[in-house]
Amino acid sequence: MTLPLVQINNLSLRYGNFVALDDISIDFMPGTCVVICGPSGSGKSSLLRCVNRLEDFGTGDVIFDGQSLKSAHNISKIRSNIGMVFQHFELYPHLSVMNNITLAPRYVNGINRDEAEAKAHKLLERVGILDQANKYPDELSGGQQQRAAIARALALEPKLMLFDEPTSALDPEMISEVLQVMRDLARNGMTMLVVTHEMGFARDVADEVVFMDKGKVIERNASGNFFDNPQSDRAKEFIDRVLQKI
Amino acid sequence: MNYEFDWSLLLEEPNWSWVIEGIANTIQLSLVAWGCALVLGVLIGAIRMSKSRTLRFIGTTYVEIFRNIPLLVQLFLWFFVFPLLLPDDLMRAWNRLDGVPFLTALIGLSLFTAARIAEQIRSGISSIPKGQFLAAYSTGLTEVQTFRHVIIPYAFRVMIPAIASEFLTIFKNSALTLTIGVAEVTGAAKTIEAYTFRGIEAYSAASLTYMLTTASVVIFMGWLEHALRIPGLIGKR
Ligand SMILES: Nc1ncnc2c1ncn2[C@@H]1O[C@H](COP(=O)(O)OP(=O)(O)OP(=O)(O)O)[C@@H](O)[C@H]1O
Ligand SMILES: [Mg+2]
Repeated sequence: MTLPLVQINNLSLRYGNFVALDDISIDFMPGTCVVICGPSGSGKSSLLRCVNRLEDFGTGDVIFDGQSLKSAHNISKIRSNIGMVFQHFELYPHLSVMNNITLAPRYVNGINRDEAEAKAHKLLERVGILDQANKYPDELSGGQQQRAAIARALALEPKLMLFDEPTSALDPEMISEVLQVMRDLARNGMTMLVVTHEMGFARDVADEVVFMDKGKVIERNASGNFFDNPQSDRAKEFIDRVLQKI
Repeated sequence: MNYEFDWSLLLEEPNWSWVIEGIANTIQLSLVAWGCALVLGVLIGAIRMSKSRTLRFIGTTYVEIFRNIPLLVQLFLWFFVFPLLLPDDLMRAWNRLDGVPFLTALIGLSLFTAARIAEQIRSGISSIPKGQFLAAYSTGLTEVQTFRHVIIPYAFRVMIPAIASEFLTIFKNSALTLTIGVAEVTGAAKTIEAYTFRGIEAYSAASLTYMLTTASVVIFMGWLEHALRIPGLIGKR
């Protein structure tokens, strides 16, 4: 029997008095691609940030690959096994694309520079921006920056990739190049949690969809079912609203 | 005004040696103090951003104390009071050192300027998007590594103008150290005046030194800013 890669147990998160995540329990199997959606402020980003403990959650726990994050002393080591991609890329502006990618492998995993660069080379090729390796982030288009950020997250060979609205800040013509990279990742068996409003990606690529509202998981469904036959009224409303917009 | 200028007297011995010694001392003092202040200021600035409440408290206390006591008072404290607080053996060893005024001036200027730099580091760091921290932490970098490789280099580039102006400040502040007997430029001018009654020439020479050095620093920092600029943050290629 396969064990879940991520197991979230009774997780709650507050910002001051505001409850951002309300007693969430859910788990994710290795090799699956799960899209997380829901209205603005429903806690999607907060949930992702709990999965690599970028937020100090109050109660509950996240078990990643058998390790409890709450009691983990080597959180940095665990994080290096979880790649994360952000809405606004968050590339380091003072480093070239190459150095953005090799920074963590060199200083977290202690890989020497040549080896790290050889690896980065392959990753850049994979995301299709090898020719941009020596440029600075600001010299790249949004789509290229996001692909560089994906390469950076992949450089530590993570077991899990977290995407927080990776295409929301992109001009429409650049969205597909990023989605293409993500589709390839999913096809190659990467475990992925993706917060996105790209319903096409959710339907075609994701195995499952998780729908959140007001800090709770309202519905979890196979992606086909979610769109054709949502269980909850709130999900129904949400789908209508999102699809209307398109 | 009926004053006959006699610039040549500056070139006569021992005046010339005093001028040279003064310039050398000023530059040496400013550069070393600035270097120390930069290192210490970065450390304290980082401490003030730390997650640990104790560390933050230490950092804030340091900044508030050293920034708010006038530099002149601090120099006097270091020169006259600090040695008295040392154990007897240490105090004797300290007094026997060569160049106690210079060392005292170095300590005083460094600690004072470190507080100012720490404050600038903090505001520089606060201007860095939170996502940069999240990105660095998410790749497994520790807090120290994140500051060392991501936050400080980024903040440093944003802060070059402020740090350059801190050097100019330290350079001008070094004139205060004549009060504890450091023979820097202003001190040298004072000595020359005392021996020759030629205050105007002596102080003009001192002013010229400050102006020339300030100009070279401004030019150098302009170059540095250009060389280290982050595309998109400070001007484009
Ligand atoms: N650092 C914070 N301090 C206080 N409140 C916060 C903080 N971060 C998020 N929140 C609040 O927590 C709630 C959930 O935020 P979160 O960013 O997780 O939502 P989201 O589902 O990702 O929304 P969006 O689609 O707008 O990105 C929101 O109401 C938000 O205002
Ligand atoms: Mg969000």
